[in-house]
Amino acid sequence: MKSKKVDFYPKSFIVPAIAIYGVFFILPTLVGFGFSFTNWNSDNLTNWFAIKYNGIDNFKYLFENENFNLALYNTVFFALVTTFLKTVIGLLLALGLNQPLATKSLLRGVFYVPNIISIIVIGLLFSSIFSMTGMFNQLLESIGLSRLAETNWLGDPDTAFGTVIAMEVWKASGFSMIIFLAGLQGIPRELYEAATIDGADGLKKFRNITLPMLAPAFTIAITIALISGFKVFDQVYVLTNGHSDTEVINTFIFRAFSAEQYGRASAMNMILFLCIAIVNLLVITFLRKKEVEL
Amino acid sequence: MIAGKRGRIILLEVAMVIISLIVIIPLLVMLLGSFKTAHEASYFNLKLPSEWHFDNYKKVFEDGKLDIALMNSTIITVMSSCITVISSALAAFTISRKKGKAYNVLFALFSLGMIAPFMVVPTISLLKLLDLSGTYSGVILVSIATSVPWSVMIFTGFIKGVPREMDEAAIIDGCGPYKMFFKVILPLLQPVLVTNLLIITVGVWNEFMIPLYLFNSASQTTMPLTVYNFFGQYANQWNLVFADLVMTALPVTLLYILFQRYIVAGLTSGAVKG
Repeated sequence: MKSKKVDFYPKSFIVPAIAIYGVFFILPTLVGFGFSFTNWNSDNLTNWFAIKYNGIDNFKYLFENENFNLALYNTVFFALVTTFLKTVIGLLLALGLNQPLATKSLLRGVFYVPNIISIIVIGLLFSSIFSMTGMFNQLLESIGLSRLAETNWLGDPDTAFGTVIAMEVWKASGFSMIIFLAGLQGIPRELYEAATIDGADGLKKFRNITLPMLAPAFTIAITIALISGFKVFDQVYVLTNGHSDTEVINTFIFRAFSAEQYGRASAMNMILFLCIAIVNLLVITFLRKKEVEL
Repeated sequence: MIAGKRGRIILLEVAMVIISLIVIIPLLVMLLGSFKTAHEASYFNLKLPSEWHFDNYKKVFEDGKLDIALMNSTIITVMSSCITVISSALAAFTISRKKGKAYNVLFALFSLGMIAPFMVVPTISLLKLLDLSGTYSGVILVSIATSVPWSVMIFTGFIKGVPREMDEAAIIDGCGPYKMFFKVILPLLQPVLVTNLLIITVGVWNEFMIPLYLFNSASQTTMPLTVYNFFGQYANQWNLVFADLVMTALPVTLLYILFQRYIVAGLTSGAVKG
């Protein structure tokens, strides 16, 4: 006799999430990939059948376009440099605030707060700080660097992108810090005690216990920083709007969108996706291998 | 030796406090500036306002139509984060309990959502086709779709640590699948649920790109969008701009201060170990 078996992990549980995600994320992503090989523009925005295939024209145009190449270069540079700085600073903050300091809870909160605030808010705040008469130049002036204090940090092509990077690192290092703190708290104290008995000094303990035990935290912190770094948009949009040689892929997409070059905008999205996918695949494979080795 | 160690701790403490000023001072300039006159605020310094101008906030609310933006942001944020968290907890539960290739594929599909960039044009075109263009539902559905992958990931990591014996006990006690999930599993997920809710809420509240592209009339502005419009309108009145910035940052900051211990706890138990 066959009794009706109840499925305690019903497939229906997955339906709401996958339905919304499928229709409003996966579908547009696939459509975008397909239409990046077309002349999609404002005439046929919603008439998907009228769109004409034009091969790799969009890609050819983009890779021959100097401004797009700069945007691509800037995006990769931004992702790599901010990831490196966020990881190092986040780790140092976490190590410091993992010590028995009286103010550690308060300081953890303080360093995390910029993460909570919209980049738009922080961007405008920073555009005041780095304006000609802003706080940063006042500070330089007061410590005697008056020549530097005349820099237009966001207007000068030599410094604008560095200022955008500084803001991102200021904002997001606290996130890496939290990931590393969580990792540090997961390291059993016995390991350090045993090492002390074996006569290991601080540096040795750090190299042989702390770093290897933090390997999963490194993987998470670096992966998340890389992904968000490649997707940079708000930071540039609010600080420089892509002027002063700070164009990134997403601001370029915004411009192509405004110019109603939808096929081209989709092609850029596809290039961005490939960049993220390839870099992340490389990094994750490398870090996971390291995790095992350690 | 002991004194040496304590000395080092005190030194570290002083150093960390000084470093934290890099974070505190800009935020303080913004907060103090929001109570100053336009002239005083333009010095961007830490001086206390000579007279506290609380009316800056009144002006920002009236001229900047912040009441509408606040309401829009609240509706979008509450709807998106609640639906995201519940639907992804359900999905993560079945995905992490079931075995089989199909479920690995599903998990990979959700992971893809974390790296794939938001496809602006096809999304707009799709919303137009579905007649959802420029509506709350459109923005909410897209916000859910972009938040679900992260949420599923954090839940899956956590649920793997919840013993199956819990499910079995509930089944023996005569629960059906729905009762088991909502009465037994969901309460166990509470710490990660709160973390998730906070992270998604903050993310949706602060989201700039989605409403920028998908909303197009003045009555459909959200708090982060007011910041930009407001700056264009009052470029030289930093006191008013600062007041708007504070109003945009305040709700999520308060939420964070109230629940901050959950964030660390949730990340520890979910993300890092998962």
